[in-house]
Amino acid sequence: MARYGMALDYKNCINCKACEVACKEENGVELGAEKHRIWVGANDVKGEWPLLDIASAAFLPSQCQHCEDAPCQEVCPTNATYYDENHVVRVDSDKCILCSYCMNACPYDARYVDDRTMTVDKCTFCSDTRLARGETTTACQATCPTKVRTFGDLDDPNSEISELLRTREHFSLKAHLGTNPKLFYLT
Amino acid sequence: MQVEVSRRKFLQGSVALSIIGGSSVGVTNLLAGHGEHEAKGELTVTTKTGTGEAKEIATLCEMCVNKCAAVARVENGVVTKLNPNPLFPKSKNMLCPRGNAGIQALYDPDRLKFPMIRVGEKGEGKFKRVSWEEAYDAILNGTDKFPGMGKILEEEKDNRSSFLFCAGEGMAEHTFKTFFSAFGSSNWLNHASLCLQTVVSGYGVTLGGYTAADLENAEYIIMAGANRAEAIVTPDTMDGFKRTKGRGAKLICIDPRFTNTAAKADKWLAINPGTDLAFVLALTYVVLTEELYNKKYVAENFNGFDEYKKSVLDNKYTPEWAEKITGIRAKDIYQIARDFMAHAPKAVYYPGRRSTFANNDFQLRRAMAIFQGLSGGIDTKGGLVFGKKLKLGKHEGLEPIYARAEARAVDKTKIPKKGHAGYSDCAVVSGGGSWIAWRNRFLEGRMPYKVRGMFCYKHNPMMNMPNTEKTAQMLKKMELVVTIDTMPSDTVMYADVVLPECTYLERTDPVKTFGGIEPSIAQRNKVVDPMFETKPVMDIMRGLTEKISKPIFEITKKYDEDVQEELANLGDGEDKKTPAQKEEEVYAEFDLTKPFEHSQEEVNEHMVKSVYGEEAVKALKEHGVFYPNMDKFFKQISVNEHQYYPEKEKAYSVNGGKPKTHSQKVECNLPNLAKKGVDPMPIWKDEYNFSVPEGKFRMLTGRHAQFTQSGTSNNAMLRDLIYENYAWINRRVAEEKGIKFGDTLEISSRTGKTIIKAYPTEKVGPQTIFFVHGFGEESEALTWAYKNGGNDNAVIEDVTEPVYGAASMHETNVEIRRV
Amino acid sequence: MKIGPLSIPLKEDFSLKSILGFEKTPVNMLLALSVIAMLVMLVVGIGNYLIHSHHAYNVTRQHPWGLLIAVYIFFVVSSTGFCIVGSLGDVFGFKDFTMISKRAIFGSIVTILAGFTVIAFEIGHPVTMMIYNVLTPGLTSAIWWMGTLYGLYLTFMIIEFYFLLNNDMKKAKIFGLTGLLVGLAAHSNLGSVFGFLNARTISQGVYYPTYFILTAFITGIFLSFIIMGFRYKLNFNEKTKKLLEGLAKIQGLLISILIFFMTWKLLTDMYGGVPTRSDVAHHIIHTAPFWAEVILVMIIPLLVILKDFGKSPVLMFWASLSGMVGIFFMRYNLVHDTQVKPLQMMKIREYQLSPEWIHYFPSASEIMISLGGLGLCILLYYVGTRAFNLDEEEGH
Repeated sequence: MARYGMALDYKNCINCKACEVACKEENGVELGAEKHRIWVGANDVKGEWPLLDIASAAFLPSQCQHCEDAPCQEVCPTNATYYDENHVVRVDSDKCILCSYCMNACPYDARYVDDRTMTVDKCTFCSDTRLARGETTTACQATCPTKVRTFGDLDDPNSEISELLRTREHFSLKAHLGTNPKLFYLT
Repeated sequence: MQVEVSRRKFLQGSVALSIIGGSSVGVTNLLAGHGEHEAKGELTVTTKTGTGEAKEIATLCEMCVNKCAAVARVENGVVTKLNPNPLFPKSKNMLCPRGNAGIQALYDPDRLKFPMIRVGEKGEGKFKRVSWEEAYDAILNGTDKFPGMGKILEEEKDNRSSFLFCAGEGMAEHTFKTFFSAFGSSNWLNHASLCLQTVVSGYGVTLGGYTAADLENAEYIIMAGANRAEAIVTPDTMDGFKRTKGRGAKLICIDPRFTNTAAKADKWLAINPGTDLAFVLALTYVVLTEELYNKKYVAENFNGFDEYKKSVLDNKYTPEWAEKITGIRAKDIYQIARDFMAHAPKAVYYPGRRSTFANNDFQLRRAMAIFQGLSGGIDTKGGLVFGKKLKLGKHEGLEPIYARAEARAVDKTKIPKKGHAGYSDCAVVSGGGSWIAWRNRFLEGRMPYKVRGMFCYKHNPMMNMPNTEKTAQMLKKMELVVTIDTMPSDTVMYADVVLPECTYLERTDPVKTFGGIEPSIAQRNKVVDPMFETKPVMDIMRGLTEKISKPIFEITKKYDEDVQEELANLGDGEDKKTPAQKEEEVYAEFDLTKPFEHSQEEVNEHMVKSVYGEEAVKALKEHGVFYPNMDKFFKQISVNEHQYYPEKEKAYSVNGGKPKTHSQKVECNLPNLAKKGVDPMPIWKDEYNFSVPEGKFRMLTGRHAQFTQSGTSNNAMLRDLIYENYAWINRRVAEEKGIKFGDTLEISSRTGKTIIKAYPTEKVGPQTIFFVHGFGEESEALTWAYKNGGNDNAVIEDVTEPVYGAASMHETNVEIRRV
Repeated sequence: MKIGPLSIPLKEDFSLKSILGFEKTPVNMLLALSVIAMLVMLVVGIGNYLIHSHHAYNVTRQHPWGLLIAVYIFFVVSSTGFCIVGSLGDVFGFKDFTMISKRAIFGSIVTILAGFTVIAFEIGHPVTMMIYNVLTPGLTSAIWWMGTLYGLYLTFMIIEFYFLLNNDMKKAKIFGLTGLLVGLAAHSNLGSVFGFLNARTISQGVYYPTYFILTAFITGIFLSFIIMGFRYKLNFNEKTKKLLEGLAKIQGLLISILIFFMTWKLLTDMYGGVPTRSDVAHHIIHTAPFWAEVILVMIIPLLVILKDFGKSPVLMFWASLSGMVGIFFMRYNLVHDTQVKPLQMMKIREYQLSPEWIHYFPSASEIMISLGGLGLCILLYYVGTRAFNLDEEEGH
C-alpha cells in the first residue's frame, strides 16, 4: 500500500482553475461556487498602480493537505473521517453525521457540505475514481496546463515525488500546527 | 455513476418534456421564464466517473479556437469526463477549465434542440418548433413572416451575392464555407477583422508569415499586449510560465493592466493604452544607436534597413521621448533593449494573437517583427519560428461561376465613382474584409446592390462586434436570417430560421493539420450521437442543399446568360445531346449537394489515406492524433513531460534562419503600402498619443482563462468560477467617487451603455477601466448568461483601423455613473 | 403513578385541567401565549428544515456552526448550572440550599431536553450519530465524549430526580454526585470541543473547558433566581430570602472571578501577539454582542449584588433575567467568534473581496427552532410544576 502525496511547483500556476473544474467533473462534485474540493488562491496585489508588488501576486493552488496528523480525523465523533490504506484522508459518508466539527477543525478550509448527501465532502486524491480504476494520477494533476503537480507514493524512494522532495526545497502550509501535510510546495 | 439525477435521466426527461411542449403549444419552450430557469438549473449536474466499463474516444476541444486534444470517457452513453490527450504535441496533455467544462456545453439544458422558425417579431425571440423539412422549406419558400431564398434570388435576378455568409472560427467552418463557395456569393465575413487580422498581416508582410514563438527555449520574452496566462494558447501558455521567476527565462510583461500574465512575469510595466508602437520604436532606437543588433543577420536578411534606421534616428525615437508617450521609464526601455539583444537569438518579442486594440496596430506589428529581426532570432531555436506543417489530401469542393453574381460589396478604390455608391473602408481588402465596415455600409444603404439574406454559422455578431445596437439594426433589416448554432445566443434571437447544430462532442469534423516546431495532424471524432434533433453542419448542408439546389438552379437558368448559352449548345455529331441530357450535364456544375455527398468520416479518411496510408486513418480514429513516426518518437518522460519529437527532428529552423517573405528578407520598407496611403515604415504620429478627456475613462477589454468570448458564457460549471463580469476601476479613483465593490455602474459612450458591477482595484490605472468580453447577453433563453454583467460591445465604438478595417477595441472613452 | 416497579409521586390534582388552570392574569396570559407562539415556531422551523435541510440555515462552508449550536450550548450550560446549584444542598449538604434541589434538578432535566431537541435539528444525521457513536466511537473527539457523557448525565439526573421525588435522599445523593461529576466532565468536554481547535487560535487552549464550568455555575444561579421568583411571585419568605442571599453572594464571587478570567484572556489574546488570535480579539471587542455579554452578565448583576451584598432578591430576579439574556450572547459569541476569522485568507475568485471577517446572521428557521427550544423548555418546566411537588418536602 502506498502513502500518497503531492508536490506542487506552485510558481508555475497561472490561476486558470482547470484543476478545480477537472476535479468537479471527475468526482461529480456538486455544482456551486462554494462547493469545491480544490482551489487556487490569490492575494490582492500590493502597491499602487503602476508600482505594484509583483511578488505579492503569487498564486497558490490548495486543497486537502492529507495531513499525517489530521485534525479533522481526530475530532470526528464517529470515525467517519479515516485514513485509507494509502494514507489518504477520506470521509465515509455513511458514518458522517454532519456535526461539521471537522470543517471547523481543518486549518485549510478543505471541507464543505455536499448538499446531495448532506455529508461532509473533501478531496480524495481521486481514490474512488481514477485510482480505483488503476490509473496512477489525479484529475487535477493530469489536466494542469503548466504542470504544477506531481502525484505519487512518498514511500517509494524511486517515485518522482520522492525524487523531487529529495532534490528541491519545499514547504508545507501551516506547518507550525503540527499537522504534517502531504502536500509539498516546491520553491 | 453516483448522482441523484443521472445524466441519462436528465436527457430522457428533457426529450419527453420538449416533445410535450412541441405538440401542445406552437411556441417552443425555448424561452423559459425565470421560474423555469431555476428548474433548469437543477437539471445541470456533474457526474462522477465510474469504475466500470467505459469507452474512451479521442476528440478535439472546441471550447475555444485552440483545439486541444481530449479523450472523452463515455459510460452508458453518457460523457462523464474529458481528459487531456497526451499524444498531441500542440496541447501536450492539458485541458484548461473550459476544456474540462465541455461536458456542460453538451448537456446544457438551454441548447437549441430542434429546428425553429420565427413566429413573433424580429428579435422578439418567439419561435415555432418545426421539422427539418419544414425548416428547409421555410428557407427556400419563406413564410408569412419572411421571404424565402427563392423569392429573393428571383427578385435579385440570381445575384448570389444578395446573400451574406458569416461564420465564427471552428473546424466545421470549412464545411460551411464550402456551401458558401458553391452557393456563389462573394460576401463572406468571419472573425478575422474582429480578431487577429492586423497581427497576421503585419507579420505576414514583414517576415513572410505569422510566426510562432519558441517559448520553451527562449531566455528572454517580451509579452506586450498579450495575456497568455488568461488567453490560453498552446503550447505557448504551457511553455511560457514554467521558467519565469528566476528559473531560466525572463518574462517582461507590458500591459496597461496587471493581468495574470503580469503576475507571472519577472517585470511588469504599465503602458498607456495604444502606445506600444512608441515603446518598440524606442527599443529599436536604443538597439540601433548602441549598435546592439545582429549586424551579420541584418546585412544578409534585411530589406530597407538603412531607410528604417534613418527614420528611427531622424525622428529621435529615444527612450526619453517614449517615456512621455508610454508612461514607461526611459531607463527601463534602455534596460530591456540591452537585455533582449544580450539574450538574442534566444529572445522573443512575442507576436501575440489578439484583436486589434489601437488604430496603429498594423504598424505596431511591423515594428515588432522588425525589432525581432534585428536580433536575428528568426526561424531559430528560442526565437520566432515558422515551423513545419504536414500536408493533407484534398477534398473536392464546388465552385461554380454565376454570371449574375456581383463582386463582393466593397470598393477597392477610395474615390467614389459616379452613379456608384462610394465607400472607403480601408486600404487593403483581405480575406474576410472588414465586418464593421460591411455592416455599417449595409445599414447606411451604401451597397452597390441589395443584400437581403444571411447565413450565420457559429457566429454571434450581436456580441462579438463593437456597437451592438447597429448589429441589431442590421439583423432586423436583413430579410432572411438563417442561423446555425448550438445555443440560443443573442444573434439567434434575430433569426428567421434556426438550425440546431450538435456540439463538438457529437460530431466528427474535418481532419486538420497543425503546424509548428512539432507538427501533427489531429481529428475530432464523434464521442456520442447528436442529442435531440441536432445535426452536424455536414448533415445540415446536405439536407439544405438537397432542398434548394434544384429550385434555385431554375432561377439561375432564368437569368444567367452563360448557363442559358451552355444549355442551348447541345453539341453536334456524336456529342449531340438531348436537352435533358444537357441540362443534367450543366446542372452537375451547379449541384450544391455534391460537396456534401459523403460523410465527414469518409472525407477525412480520403484526405489522410491518400498521403499517409491506412495506418494514419486508424491512428486518428483511435488516438485522435497522427504524425509520421509517432510510434517511435512519442515517449512519456515523466509524470508531466512527454517527448513528441527527438530534439534533432524538431522544426526550429525550416528556412535557414531567413524570413519567408518573397524576397527572403525582413521587409522594413514597403513602398507599395504608401501607394494605398499606408505608412511604408512604422512611424509614430501625434494622433496615436494616449489622451482621455477629464472625467472619462479609456475602455479596455480582454479575457479571463475561464471564458471564451460569449460562446462559453452559459456554461454552468464555468459560472461557478466567474458568476458575472465586473468593471475594473482604479481603487483610488473609486474611493474618490465613493464607488465600492459590487456597486452597480452604468458605463456609457457615444455608442450605448451597459450595466455592470464595480471592482475597485490597483490593477488598472486611473484613466482606464476594464471589463472582460463575452458577458451580459440579452437572450432570455440563456439561463446563466442572461444579463450576467456588462456587454463591452454595447459600449465600444465602431472604430476601425485604416489598413484592414479591423475593429479597434481600445479606442473608446467612456463615462461611468453609479446607478 | 406506578410504572412497573417505579412509583412516581404525581400531584393529586394533576390533569389537563390543572395545567390549564393557571391564574388568568395579564402576565400569565402573555407568557402562555408566548409559549404557544414559540411552539408554533418550533413546528414551522422544523418543517422548514425537513423540506430544505441545511439550506434552511444560514450556515456556510466558512461558518458551519450557527445559532443552533449556540442555543444548544446555552441549554446544556443551563442544565449543568442547575445541576451544580441543585447539588449544593442535596449532594454537598449545604442545608440552606436544600430547598431548591428538587426544583433545580428538574430544571436541569428540562433544559438538557430542550438542548437535545435543538441539536437534533442541527446535526445532519442524529440517528446515524446514535448508531456510529456506539459502533465506531471516535475516542479522540471531544464531541464524542461530550455527547456520550451528556447522555449518561441525563440518565443520572432522571434517576436522581426520581429518588428526590420519593424522598430517598441517600440514593439521590449517590446519583446526584455521579450525575454532577459526569455533567462536569461532559460540560468541560463541550468547552474542549473549542479548546482542541488548534486551527482556531482564539479558542484553542485550556480556557474554555474551565470557563464553561464557571459560567455554568453562574448560569445556574441566575436561573435559580428566575425559577424561585416565579415560584414565589417575587414575594419571598424568609427561608427563601436566606437561600437567595447566599446564592447572590456566591454569584458575586463567581462573576468577579469571571471578570478576572475574561480580562486576562482578552489582554493576553490582544497583546500576546499570536497571529489569528490578537487580530480576532481586537475585532471581537469592537462588536456589539461582546458588550451585550459584558454588560448583561457581568456589570448589571454585579452592581446589583454589590449594592447590598445580595440582600435584594427582587432586584436580583431582574438582574438574573438580564444575566440570562447576556448568557445567550455569551454562547453566541463563543460560537461565532471561534469562526469569525477565515481559515482561507486568499481570494479564490477574481471578483470577490479579500476574505476579511466572516459575517453570519441566523436564518428565520434557525431563530424559530431556537425560540421553539425555549418554549419547549418553559412548557416542560411548567407542566413539571403542575405534576410534581418541586418544593422541599416539609420535615426534611
